[in-house]
Amino acid sequence: MFAPYLILLALFGVWPIVQAGLVSLEPTVINPAGGAQNFADVVADVRFVPAALNVVVFLVMYVPAMLIVVSLMSLLLDTVQGRWNLPLRLAYIVPASMTGATAVLIWYFMLEPSLSPYQDALHALGITQGNQIWRQGGLAWIFVAMAFFVGAGNWIVVQYGSLQSISDDILEAARIDGANSWQIAWRIKLPLIRKYLVYMGILVFAAGLQVFVEPQLISGSVYTGIATDWSLNQLSYDLAFQSNNLADSAALSLMLLVVCIVAAIVVIFRSDFFEGTGVGSKK
Amino acid sequence: MKRLAVALVAVIALGVALAGCTTGGSSSSGRPSILIWADTPRIPQATEYQKEMKGKVDVKIETIAQADAQTKIALANRAKKGWPDIIFGAPADTAQFKDPSNGYAADLTKLVSKKIFDGFGEGNSDCLYNGKYYCLKNDLANTVLWYNTKIFKELGLTVPTTMQEFVDTALKLKGTGYSAGAYGDQLYYAAFLQSSECPLADLTAENTVRIAPSDPKCTRVAKTIQPLLDSGVIDKRSPFDAGFIKDVAGQDKVAMTIGPSWWGDFVIRPAASWSVPAGEIAAANMPSWGTGSDNKSGAYGGGVFTVSSHSKFPQAAVDAAVWMTTSDWMATAATTPTFPAYGPANKLWEARISKDPYYANNVYTAMAAGANNISQVDRPVRFPFNAQFGTLSAAIQNGKSLSTALDDLTKSLQGLAPQSGYKVVTK
Amino acid sequence: MTTETITTASSGRAHGVVRTRGFGAITGRTVVWIVLAVFGILSVVPMIWLILAPSKTAKQLNGDAPFSFGSFAQYGVAWNNLLSQNNGVILNWMGNSVVYTASIVVISCLTAVLAGYALAATALPFKRALLIITLVAMIIPPVALVVPLFVEISAIGLYDNPISVILTSSFYPFGVFLAYIYFSTSIPTELYEAAKVDGAGEFTTFFRIALPLSRGLFGMLAFFSFSAAWVNYFLPYVLLQSQENFNLSLGLGFLFTSSPALNPQNGAQQSLIGRPEIALASLFLAIPILIVFIASSRLLVRGVLAGAVKS
Repeated sequence: MFAPYLILLALFGVWPIVQAGLVSLEPTVINPAGGAQNFADVVADVRFVPAALNVVVFLVMYVPAMLIVVSLMSLLLDTVQGRWNLPLRLAYIVPASMTGATAVLIWYFMLEPSLSPYQDALHALGITQGNQIWRQGGLAWIFVAMAFFVGAGNWIVVQYGSLQSISDDILEAARIDGANSWQIAWRIKLPLIRKYLVYMGILVFAAGLQVFVEPQLISGSVYTGIATDWSLNQLSYDLAFQSNNLADSAALSLMLLVVCIVAAIVVIFRSDFFEGTGVGSKK
Repeated sequence: MKRLAVALVAVIALGVALAGCTTGGSSSSGRPSILIWADTPRIPQATEYQKEMKGKVDVKIETIAQADAQTKIALANRAKKGWPDIIFGAPADTAQFKDPSNGYAADLTKLVSKKIFDGFGEGNSDCLYNGKYYCLKNDLANTVLWYNTKIFKELGLTVPTTMQEFVDTALKLKGTGYSAGAYGDQLYYAAFLQSSECPLADLTAENTVRIAPSDPKCTRVAKTIQPLLDSGVIDKRSPFDAGFIKDVAGQDKVAMTIGPSWWGDFVIRPAASWSVPAGEIAAANMPSWGTGSDNKSGAYGGGVFTVSSHSKFPQAAVDAAVWMTTSDWMATAATTPTFPAYGPANKLWEARISKDPYYANNVYTAMAAGANNISQVDRPVRFPFNAQFGTLSAAIQNGKSLSTALDDLTKSLQGLAPQSGYKVVTK
Repeated sequence: MTTETITTASSGRAHGVVRTRGFGAITGRTVVWIVLAVFGILSVVPMIWLILAPSKTAKQLNGDAPFSFGSFAQYGVAWNNLLSQNNGVILNWMGNSVVYTASIVVISCLTAVLAGYALAATALPFKRALLIITLVAMIIPPVALVVPLFVEISAIGLYDNPISVILTSSFYPFGVFLAYIYFSTSIPTELYEAAKVDGAGEFTTFFRIALPLSRGLFGMLAFFSFSAAWVNYFLPYVLLQSQENFNLSLGLGFLFTSSPALNPQNGAQQSLIGRPEIALASLFLAIPILIVFIASSRLLVRGVLAGAVKS
């Protein structure tokens, strides 16, 4: 009964990691001896530090933006039960359908001052030229915006759902004690959905660490080469299939993977999210 | 639930069946079949070849993004299947493909007749490695000086022949609202650095590359061009930038620009691009940096066809590559905007373009003058040279000085070269 | 948490409107409404733009007001131009997207439900270890394993074979986890026990007791599986090579980089693919997700995480 999943897990969850471990030790052009030196070579690559910085900047903006906006919007949404609640939720979900290439297309038009519907706003900000926005060094926030709009709506709806599971008795009790709606939101609702927010934060972090599609597509189209090797995942891809250096690529993949696994283990054993599932720590 | 289960099985079966259909479509007729990978501008000629070969060779065509050529072949190499029989790409792609670690490129020296190689003359030099040919050059993309005769007449300018005259002429545009072009991308390299013979991928030995930004031939570029950038007569945006096209090029405000030979039909003329009216644009020889042989042109583009060493039908593959680069059809088609590298095809192309009423002079003369005078200092290399132009563009567009921009570029190049097994010389 | 509380949670709070007190509270509510509305408008604007874009020619798209409408005929023109690309390869992409997504949803949901049930209700060796591995796998984004997966897939000869995408994408640890929680909390263990006492085997119990009770679970699993599979990009990008094997999202990315629509260096004279065509292809990708999302919105209200995780 467990077998079909176990096969998939072994083939596409565990074995690739084992294989990456083996491949990462193979000899390369710069390191004919192979071995752990490959990991040092990756870090020493001229493209590594800039890409790592890009990803860090991206994450520093993306993860808090998601957490703050998603909690805020779902809390606000929770206060307006009634006729407009459903249409608003549906509206928030709309951008989630525009991922990958669609997102790049749309953001190109939204941010190109000569084509944008927000032309006036952009001009007011002193932006009259596309290259004031689309330039190296200033790309992180564009990718944050893309990723944010694709992801935020879905998460708002999901966290709004989490809020619905808070029992009425608790809220009613708070109201009787004279708490106003801000206090209820801040002191009661937020702590009660905290673990779902932590879980979301980890997923968002893990996905953000692996950002690939948006920079890759921008680099291959409108602004050729603008985001070549912008993210670590792009570097891993280019190492494997452009520099023909699968070993270093696997080494980089493994490094990223370790960060993800550590994050996963932290959330499993150190947070109370999986409490009661027979896995997490008992408090 | 049972119905659901039946439906599920049916869907999977359908999926597998469809997958089988799409992958298992090999011809059983015994005719040779070949697969061509080419970028969008080369699709019309591939389609014509497919038509001409009908009944003799089954030709299958797939469009690729030119920038993907290396990665797509690397993927096929790893998978040990799925190679195209011929592929269109940049000359640097072939440098990668012919390396023993890659092994995709077939040695064409014996497979293609001597007559064809003779017809190319110097035009095929990018494909020559240690006396062996590994590809066939499709087109030459040498830089020329494009200028607008209407604007030149209006301002009473004369056509510059040296780089110094180019600078002087450009400076006269200050305050007129006219521009001497936009160079914030690969064009800065092709128009100035490469034509000046600044060594950035200079192979002094098979696996030794000289990347020397302090060479006088590099430093003179920033010194000469920086004043133009500072005074705003040349644009730091890309020539393809939507804002530049809207504000400058599309308003017919480009008085002159250095640009490759394909720009006329491809960038300056099309309505969706610069859309310059007919009868205004002319081409002149590439301005020379110095005297004597210090008069090279740069190259922006100029692709090659490489043949697979894994082809099941090597002869059919070679024939296709030869046809794509040398045929009369390619040379005379209106869909061929690029300057054919193959001599006889080039003559036919000349007959078409030199009579084109769109241009204000015979643009062919300037193209031909520079075609066999492209700088040979930088050679196709195995590391991702072209991909680093992003660094250069960014530096220029962000307003860094041109010498800093060059430093940024060389730093990337010097870091990448050793990874592909090159020894780097910086002096 | 039981099934009962999941279903009542949403309906029970319909009256949970905050009572307003005085002027401060009224302005507070105005601010709330403004924030909610502005966010809603910002969310919908790009989609409206995308729907209008293919109605215009490339020139109108660049020159006219962003929200102007061109003509209905232009949608047809754009569609025909899309069909001109490699003999209508876009039809293959659409068909592939449907087939791949359907196969992935079916395989991933079935394996997830079976595995979740096995973890929750049967005696399985190394249960805790398997559960932890599943949890770790659920947090690792699939993108992280792309290069290693490519190495593996090419080694077993499935490169450029759609089966590689279908199988690798069917690995669905999140689904297993959801199913596990569902079977271990929403269905009383006594039910399984009773069936077993009656002499039913594991499979009989599963088909007779568990499966009929897991309709809602299937809906949720299918929703998440669909939303990941339909827009799948990086994995097929690496595992598939022939254009006719692409899915729509990969095909769109390919049009992006190979057509002159957004990269003029690709030659506007040799291709009919321009910006309106790209926008139309984007719509084909976006609309199905939108429909599924809207159709499932009721499913999501009930608290996906809240319902999945015991609180």
